[in-house]
Amino acid sequence: MKKRHQQKLIFLSLVMVFLWNMPLLSLAQLPDQLFGFPVFYAYVFLVWAILIMVVFGILKKHHE
Amino acid sequence: MNSLMLISLMILYLGGLFALAYYSERNKHRPFFSKPWIYVLSLGVYCSAWTYYGSVGIAAQSGPSFLTIYLGPVIAMPLWLSVMRKVVQISKQHKISGIADFISMRYGNSRRLGALVTLCCLTAGVPYIALQLKAISESFSLLSGEVSTTSVVGDSTFYIALIIAVFIAFFGTQQTDASEAKVGIMSTVAAESVLKLVFFLVVGCYVCFGLFDGTQDLYNKAAQALPDFAGLSGAEGVGGGLNWLLTIALSFSAFFLLPRQFQVSVVENQKPKHLRTAMWFLPLYLLLFNGFVIFIAWGGRLLLPESQNSDYYSLLLPLSEGQTFLASLVFFGGLSAVISMIVVSTLALSNMLSNNLVIPYGFLDLMKESDPQRNAKRVKNIRRFSMFLLIIGAYFFYTGFSTRLSLYSIGLVSFVLIAQLAPSFFLGLYWNRGSSQAGYYGIIAGLTFVFYSLILPIILGESELGYSFVEQGPLGIAALKPHEFLGLSSLGVETHALFWSLLLNTTFFVYLSLNRKGNYRERNYAELFINSENYSQVGGFVWKGEAYVSDIKDLLVRFLGDSQTDRALDLFYRKYKVSPSEERADARLIAFSEKLLTGSLGAASARILLSSVSKEAPISLVEVLEILEDNKETKATNRLLQAKSRELEQMAEQLQEINHELLDQDKLKDEFLDTVAHELKTPVTSIQAGIELLLDGGMPSDLQEKFMRNIEKDSDRLSRLIHNILDLEKLASGRAELVLESDNLGNTIGKVVQSMKHLADKQGVELKANPEKSSIVAVYDEDRIIQVMTNLISNSLKFIGEEHGKIEIEIEENAKEVLVIVSDNGRGVPAEDQDYIFEKFYQSKNQNTRKPIGSGFGLAICKKILEGHQGNIWLDRSHSPGARFLFSLPKEVQHGKE
Repeated sequence: MKKRHQQKLIFLSLVMVFLWNMPLLSLAQLPDQLFGFPVFYAYVFLVWAILIMVVFGILKKHHE
Repeated sequence: MNSLMLISLMILYLGGLFALAYYSERNKHRPFFSKPWIYVLSLGVYCSAWTYYGSVGIAAQSGPSFLTIYLGPVIAMPLWLSVMRKVVQISKQHKISGIADFISMRYGNSRRLGALVTLCCLTAGVPYIALQLKAISESFSLLSGEVSTTSVVGDSTFYIALIIAVFIAFFGTQQTDASEAKVGIMSTVAAESVLKLVFFLVVGCYVCFGLFDGTQDLYNKAAQALPDFAGLSGAEGVGGGLNWLLTIALSFSAFFLLPRQFQVSVVENQKPKHLRTAMWFLPLYLLLFNGFVIFIAWGGRLLLPESQNSDYYSLLLPLSEGQTFLASLVFFGGLSAVISMIVVSTLALSNMLSNNLVIPYGFLDLMKESDPQRNAKRVKNIRRFSMFLLIIGAYFFYTGFSTRLSLYSIGLVSFVLIAQLAPSFFLGLYWNRGSSQAGYYGIIAGLTFVFYSLILPIILGESELGYSFVEQGPLGIAALKPHEFLGLSSLGVETHALFWSLLLNTTFFVYLSLNRKGNYRERNYAELFINSENYSQVGGFVWKGEAYVSDIKDLLVRFLGDSQTDRALDLFYRKYKVSPSEERADARLIAFSEKLLTGSLGAASARILLSSVSKEAPISLVEVLEILEDNKETKATNRLLQAKSRELEQMAEQLQEINHELLDQDKLKDEFLDTVAHELKTPVTSIQAGIELLLDGGMPSDLQEKFMRNIEKDSDRLSRLIHNILDLEKLASGRAELVLESDNLGNTIGKVVQSMKHLADKQGVELKANPEKSSIVAVYDEDRIIQVMTNLISNSLKFIGEEHGKIEIEIEENAKEVLVIVSDNGRGVPAEDQDYIFEKFYQSKNQNTRKPIGSGFGLAICKKILEGHQGNIWLDRSHSPGARFLFSLPKEVQHGKE
């Protein structure tokens, strides 16, 4: 719990809880599409992909 | 496809798994098996048949709620570095082999808590395995086109289940110690994780690009043809945001607590650093698995008749187009998802069943009297028997119950059951007051509600009684309706049960923990778990009483055998510096032995066995806490001291470095003085010799004059040398002040050329400054730059050939600097000297040729002068023939450095 990158990751988890739940999730409910993905799915998957990159980045930077 | 051929393919596939497991088990010490890949891929066991077939079904029927099962784990992954690392560390410290062991040990090796957790996991696990068997059987009959028979003997699923049981029984019981990694099994699980993902992606691509014209086309067609498309694409599908949130919470906790997840992520972890790879890899794996789900679901809805089971769209779509090969790929992908899930679940559950239920309650007394070989055999046989029992139990559950339940609902019920472990697990990790009794009653309260709300309606089924029970409540009391307890109707069936059960569970847990103190043993283990990083393997265990080493040794020999016991005790004596002749056992030996037994017998049994050979003196909670506090303080002081000594070490290192530097400089100074003395001595000697000859007299006057001239020349050289030395030292120590002014560089160079011209002409050397750009302005001290130029030109003159000698001076200009280039076509600088020419008094190797010509100061002085200008001087090494020196001067005054 002491290390800064651990805290960053915990914060990231918290942010994901908010990004993937109501009411923020309702903002993505548009009747449109992106590459065939409804906006709702596109949003969830995009956030997902960004999470992977952020986690990867944090771990790479703080490699022990 | 004909069912006989399919069965032979399946047997071939299973044979392949056996071969792979056998190969990996044989070669487990190779470096490949210590890489993180097997570990991170085996975590993919989370994607069972439920993912492989069930997700598509949900996406086709009700929309995006299938995602919640994966969002929970993805949210959990960033926490692994803090939470999971702690769990892994504790588990390795105490040789924990499963979630039941973990929880029972946290609460003071409580036997009944371990048994309760095991029962909870079994109730959740067996139907879940049954669900997987159902998926095999249904996909098999779809692919072979034959309806599976209801008799056990004719049902191929039964035989597949049996083969899987043989597989686990063989590779899962190689060691008696259940906390050891099982490389053979895990490498098959990892391979199957790859297979199922690849095959699922293949069928996803086939649906998108083979059956339709890409994802856009699929979207457009689905948007037009499906009446409920708005709901499917998410716009209305998430109506109950609370349902959504609770399902994410459910999958979050299941990802930590499911026996099979605990097995792959904790027990099979070989290196804590593998967790780091998993943290980004697993979310990626799950993302790939979910990408195509909606397209397969929509494709199925568009192309297949309503009557088809939407769970199997990924299989039915290629079948309907006659693509048997593709359909079989899908089938085998599903089969690998099923097999890996069953294998890991059965392994984890059978270890739990033997270590936390069968051995502590049934076999302990028998084993105490027996010899080590028979005990080891007995432990293994109990596990093997449990494995068969579990798989056969799951098979009969499947034939009896699951025909009328969907993949999704059985899966969710299992998750809700497993979630009952969450309060004692998560709170127990961070809250030291959580007590064994509280955990026990909390779980019972939670389970009771789940049984009432979810399981009872399933057991009663669609009978009259079941119907009235669900719709009107027991005895017609509406407030007690199992799916709408106290009238709470806004939640889904499973999330409703999750909410109430966890509320009850947590309330009981927290209230009982606060209300009654746990005993000292619980607090001891609580401290060991919560501050696990402070304790070594046996460090924080508090124990007082009477025990003899010989008794403990006898006990260990009974379970581990002579040689292993001797080896372990030897290690213990050496590690903790205890004399082997010591007769009384201390807390450390008790903790060490307990750990040794935990791996093969489980935490509770180890505790019971050790207390049977030792007489533990009662010890008060206060005493335990004091000892722990002392330990903690000693630890903290130790750490402080360590930090201090590290600091001191660093400082000592720094001092040493500085010392080295000083010594080097001292040596340089000595060398410098040496050279200076030598240089000065040459002219002085020659002057002395001349004067001596003159004093002797009797010399013709013309010869006298010649001597006088020589003496004059030498004294000139002497004074020049002394001047140079003083100059260099002045420049080096920064005492020389430069008068920096903006000036016209062309003019200055003109002056130099003017004054050097006659010298050059005398040697027949052409001295050219071209083009004489008169407009270039730079900031410099004119006298000093004239000194530099003179030096460079006279150097060139010294080394230039007699004929066709040519010296060229050029000026170039860029944004910040002015560059002056002096090049000649002389002998050039020998390669071995190039690195050193700017050092003061560099002694070239061919001293004889060099010495009479140069003093060795010129270039060092030039360098110092230019450094004083914030410029630089260097040699163009690529220039040939001849030498080419360049120096740069700033165009503007640089502030702050003057």
